[in-house]
Amino acid sequence: MKFSAESTDPSSEVSRNVGDAHLAQLRETIEHAAHYLPSQGPITVFVHHNNLHSFEHLPFEQGVVEGGRLYGCNAFLPEERYRQKLARGRIRREDLEAVLSVELSGDDEKSVGALCSQAELRLALLEVPLRSGTRAELSWLVSGTNALRSFANEVNSETRSQIVEQTRHWVMRDLKTQESGSSLIQKDVLDEALSEFDLSDAEIWAEGKWEELTIYLLWKIVRTRVGGCTWDRSERTSPPKVRHRDVLLKATGDDSDLLINDTLVRFWSAYLDQGFANWAFSEREKGPFLRFLELASCERSSPTLFSKCVAAEAKRLLDDRVSAEQAIEESLHILGVDESEEESFIIETLLAFRGWAGMVWQMETNAPWEPHPAPKGALVQYLAVRLLLERVALRIVVDRNLDSSLPLDLLREAIDEGPESKPEFSADQMAFAIFELAQHRGWGPERMAQLRRSDFESLIGGIRRFDSLARRKVYHLAFERKYRNETLDAVLHHAQRLRGQGAKKQKKRKLASYQVVCCIDEREESFRRHLEEVDPESETFGVAGFFGVAMYYRGVEEAHFRPLCPVNITPQHYIVEDPSYSVQHSESLRVGLRRRLGKATHRAHRGNRTFMGGILSGLLGAIAVFPLVARILFPRSTAQFRRFFGRMVKTPATELRLEQSDCNAGRSEERHGYSVEEMAQIVEGGLRAIGLTQSEQFTSLVVICGHGSASLNNPQEAAHDCGACGGGRGGPNARAFSQMANDPRVRTILASQGIPVPAESLFVGVYHNTCDDSMTWYDLERIPRSHRTVFERVRDAIDEARARSAHERCRRFHSADLEISVLDALRHVEGRAEDLSQPRPEYGHCTNALCFVGRRSWSRGLFLDRRAFLTSYDPTQDDEASSILERLLQAVIPVCAGINLEYYFSYVDPTGYGCGTKLPHNITSLLGVMDGAASDLRPGLPWQMVELHEPVRLLFVIETSPSAIERIISENEAIARLVNGNWVQLAIFDADALKILRYVDGKFVTYDPETSGIPLVRSSVDWYRGWRDHLGFASIGEQFVPTGSEG
Amino acid sequence: MEIIWEPFVSVLGLTVVFSPAVLFALLCGVSLVGAPLSERTIARSIQLAVSVGFVAALGLLLSMLATGLHELSLELGDWVAIPDQHFHFHLKFVFDRLSVPFVILVYGLCGIVGAFTTRYLHREPGFGRFFVLYSVFLMGMVFSSLAGTIEALFFGWELVGLSSALLVGYFHERANPVRNGQRVWSVYRIADAAFLVAAILVHHLTGSGDFSVLMGDGLWPAGSVALSEKHALLVGLLLLAAAAGKSALVPFSGWLPRAMEGPTPSSAVFYGALSVHLGVFLLLRVGGLIERSIVLMVVVSALGLVTAVYAMLAGRVQSDIKSALAFASLTQVGIIVFEIGVGLRFLPLVHIIGHACLRTLQLLRAPTLLHDFHWMENAVGGHLTSEISVWHRWIPKWTRLWLYRFSLERGFFDELLDEYVVRPVIRLFRWSNRMEERWTRWLSMESTSSKPPRPASESSLEDYAK
Repeated sequence: MKFSAESTDPSSEVSRNVGDAHLAQLRETIEHAAHYLPSQGPITVFVHHNNLHSFEHLPFEQGVVEGGRLYGCNAFLPEERYRQKLARGRIRREDLEAVLSVELSGDDEKSVGALCSQAELRLALLEVPLRSGTRAELSWLVSGTNALRSFANEVNSETRSQIVEQTRHWVMRDLKTQESGSSLIQKDVLDEALSEFDLSDAEIWAEGKWEELTIYLLWKIVRTRVGGCTWDRSERTSPPKVRHRDVLLKATGDDSDLLINDTLVRFWSAYLDQGFANWAFSEREKGPFLRFLELASCERSSPTLFSKCVAAEAKRLLDDRVSAEQAIEESLHILGVDESEEESFIIETLLAFRGWAGMVWQMETNAPWEPHPAPKGALVQYLAVRLLLERVALRIVVDRNLDSSLPLDLLREAIDEGPESKPEFSADQMAFAIFELAQHRGWGPERMAQLRRSDFESLIGGIRRFDSLARRKVYHLAFERKYRNETLDAVLHHAQRLRGQGAKKQKKRKLASYQVVCCIDEREESFRRHLEEVDPESETFGVAGFFGVAMYYRGVEEAHFRPLCPVNITPQHYIVEDPSYSVQHSESLRVGLRRRLGKATHRAHRGNRTFMGGILSGLLGAIAVFPLVARILFPRSTAQFRRFFGRMVKTPATELRLEQSDCNAGRSEERHGYSVEEMAQIVEGGLRAIGLTQSEQFTSLVVICGHGSASLNNPQEAAHDCGACGGGRGGPNARAFSQMANDPRVRTILASQGIPVPAESLFVGVYHNTCDDSMTWYDLERIPRSHRTVFERVRDAIDEARARSAHERCRRFHSADLEISVLDALRHVEGRAEDLSQPRPEYGHCTNALCFVGRRSWSRGLFLDRRAFLTSYDPTQDDEASSILERLLQAVIPVCAGINLEYYFSYVDPTGYGCGTKLPHNITSLLGVMDGAASDLRPGLPWQMVELHEPVRLLFVIETSPSAIERIISENEAIARLVNGNWVQLAIFDADALKILRYVDGKFVTYDPETSGIPLVRSSVDWYRGWRDHLGFASIGEQFVPTGSEG
Repeated sequence: MEIIWEPFVSVLGLTVVFSPAVLFALLCGVSLVGAPLSERTIARSIQLAVSVGFVAALGLLLSMLATGLHELSLELGDWVAIPDQHFHFHLKFVFDRLSVPFVILVYGLCGIVGAFTTRYLHREPGFGRFFVLYSVFLMGMVFSSLAGTIEALFFGWELVGLSSALLVGYFHERANPVRNGQRVWSVYRIADAAFLVAAILVHHLTGSGDFSVLMGDGLWPAGSVALSEKHALLVGLLLLAAAAGKSALVPFSGWLPRAMEGPTPSSAVFYGALSVHLGVFLLLRVGGLIERSIVLMVVVSALGLVTAVYAMLAGRVQSDIKSALAFASLTQVGIIVFEIGVGLRFLPLVHIIGHACLRTLQLLRAPTLLHDFHWMENAVGGHLTSEISVWHRWIPKWTRLWLYRFSLERGFFDELLDEYVVRPVIRLFRWSNRMEERWTRWLSMESTSSKPPRPASESSLEDYAK
């Protein structure tokens, strides 16, 4: 076996310079290609991204198609899924019509071959499932059914009898009497068709016989006419494969990647391992490429043909001290990849194992906190290793199947020369499509016979242009349109209803008794709504769940600092949670106990997999039956039991070391704690964002509620945490914010800034676990006696609201009965969180579709089905330039769009963009999951997380003016890309004029409501009970419903 | 006394044996008539069948303890008998000190995993399929653990093999599970072939496949083998080959980590706990035979030891949880084989039971690894470090490199088998195929190769409409 190494002449200075320039360019190309790799880092820090972030410069409709082509993924749902939605009324005919009229804008009336308008043709193609397919499928269909002799089943009886009647008349008038009328079709075709039928007693034929003749004539005529037309028959094909492996696989059926996959997965998972393997990878600092060569060149442990060849190559590269870039250059040269296709080849090669390549890139650029991040240039080295293995494997496969003298650089040309039959849209296929369409549209044989050839060709062109992808796009837009219009209608009608009711009860209106500030997360929507229902005197707000406190945080029982803020912010402050002063003396005892426990567990964790430790644990293993049975059969009680014992080592009381002081001021870049001014700034920002600035607005208790989620046996656990905390848990942020806001020095500064917080207002932090709907309160000992009554009222209301919210969540879980009681519902979700066998501890952001930015006053009492991010914003308190709104949107639009788009893509292609089903997932290197024993790393969301989702783009409804939003869009590039590229939908709402403007292609269009009202119900449960599927909008609240005879 | 107990115990025994069969008949039957059951009904029937079997097995154990009965056999007679050929398929089940604990283990673990899976696979399209295979597996495990004749054991063994391979390929829409399922299936075929030859030999040598004839009359583990040393060695080696395939001993070890393709609970109960121990169980069942020949004892214990060392090495470098657990399992299986080889009987049994329970728990909670590591790091207060063992300092650097690579590539066993066994065999068969074609052509006097006529390319669609 020969490996033609590039012969370089070291004396030639010029060629070296040229070579260096090329190497630098290669590095650049690879770094550019890296942007097409999945951008999900280590799975423990789960940040939702737009899967197609590298296509955001294109409009959505184009981006999904091109992205889908690159990754081999769906752009939209499969057609039959949309058809089901059409049949169930989730997509309406009027939605399709509206979308088509925009799509064809103007030329929809242009007729297709005098038969119908373009819009009608397209609508027909959307409404009628044409049975079509490859030639083989068609022949199967025709031989299996009576398709050429009878109407398609879906054709309604009216159309049937019309066509038959017309044909009967035509046959009796023109054909039977041999007086060929105005037909443009050759007579022999008709004669041939009619020859099978004896027309002599046609007058007394039964209806069935006429039908048979009609359909047969129709088919004959259409087939003949189509045969006489010319049109572009080429099928939409995927771009030619650039990788040798694809070409070779197609030609020989032998997959060269099979040889290299195992080696690649084993090496890279070992190299990137963050501390799982008992025998850690040594000398990482040498870099992966060098380490790979050292390992692979070990001839003694290379017994197979493939490993022997790799060893020989590795040894040569090692001896010649070839760098990774040079190795890539050499491989490209051997594979015959010239500079023009270098980039696409490198992209394709990286995408072949995109999970692993992406993780290498993330570890290189974006994970400095991990114990073993990858060194700079790791991705280049990954590619060098991959290409080295690839060319060895290709050589072996070529030798095995083709000709051992065939050089690899000529491989693709040599194979491509073979006659390749391009898929073609045959005349039969086209004729069958028109034949079926004609039945549905009521175009009889006579009409088809009279069409001119040009008419026929334009009909064919119309059908061809409206291919599956184009159809799916229209379906999708219609699908989104229905929900969008329903939402906008609901907003208008609900606001109107509130206004009517507000006018009536103006004088009775009372100020709120307390306020609760939650995250904007759509999972808090139900909690807020229920709280407002439980206690109408409560007032709720929504603000990004890090509450402006961007920090590196370390809890008292935690080992490491982790950032708690959106990913685009780098925190400047380090905050530590300390044990309370009163328990500090006993803390060292608990720390020691915890450490011993942790070490023992770790030793057991490793030990039971070793030789001697394994024997011991094997012999005593029967004890494992007890936890096994307990945890699987009684998850909730076992968790309570464990928590009971966990309390022994748990620090009983803690406090935040929030304020900067001399003793904890660390290095300049690591600032421990905030100064009072900084705290005041954070609190001011938060209060201004939600529009809480006047002293009469404040109530005596303000609850700040952060959220996160804890579940078991769930590698994607972090994906359920707070997005605004960068996939962390927002409890500490809520606690810190409350503590800051309670500080009298902060209040003094706030008062001077125009926010006089009354002295009797108290802020309390709480953490909401969205999985088991539990609430953990912070610093209760700091609540003065004067506030305890109101606190107890708040706590009771919140407890009731979280139970009801759990109840509402349970309607989505098939394993919970629809008739479940509120208390059982709470137990059910608590059990789910602790259940090892539960792949859906919660549904996370599933079903998210809306984002409201504005005052709660117009959305309060509107049932939003946990589908809306709710951001509080009061335009009346904003300045001229809407700078508060701008700051809000800078965070809200990218974060919410990222969540929404990741759900969109993971749903539309669960195995391509998502990570498939969770059931076979295998955690590897403590970084991510593989499918089963060994596969590519699988970033993205699992099917179990997204299965209920409705893939619609997020609709923002923002309470502001057109000029303000236009300015914000034009001055913020990130927002502009998403909004102008239609990656999100945008509408603005004028709550005073009750008017909605939709932002369409850079212009504002007034939205006219489609319906006249939305339902009215007494309570949320009255609306959602007994139903598992998505629910529409409704106004909720006692106050709307006329009570008894009074009304 | 005995008059009262005898029928009672037999009824219990029959319940233990046939409750999985009833379950299987139910799950398959409804699928055959095209009326698939709801998830809830499937879950209930699994619960019922397993708990009935479990309670019956426990009851049997208690009544055997109470009466001091050490062995109970259920004769179900010859199912196939060809007297002229001295062939009979004799179904007989034995409850003794080996089979009763083992069958209780089987029911216990399958019950737990069944309960786990009904929630884990909720809303999965293959829910019904999984439980049909599960019932086949359970039936196979129960049959083989209770088997009193070598043919009954073989019957159960085959059911386990079939369901295992199909469950590895459970996600058949992807290529890897199917490929790995096929690998498992192929290795099982080799094991089965060895087993079958052994079974025929036993019949030939002793005139029946009954273990009580083979092992003499004594209660397990006692008994004297009715074979000569040479015969025992021959039969023993064949059975060892069978066990090696089934329990993934060297050199067949490669399939075990590859089998982790199905849903997590199936990996847990099959490859972590039960089917990987089935080969060991076979060796334990014919323990007397192994003791008959010193050579055999040496071979068995050596194979066990080699497997254990190999699996320990490979396991140490694995960086994904399921492979690490697979090799950890294999280490213990190797040690158990060694224990059997040196003549221990009760220790391996205890070892099997403990080990199976432990691995099931570990594999079921494998997806919670990150959670566990997070907890441990927090408790320890820093990144977890692995202490470098003393061994490392002793071994020179180049050997360490060599060992690391050897372990990382899992000893190249799979690749070597592919290269030196699979490919040559395929080539041989392809060659034979060509020869056969030539031979038949020559016989039928055909001159040149005649290809089947191709359908005319431009046939009209109407031609199909008949």
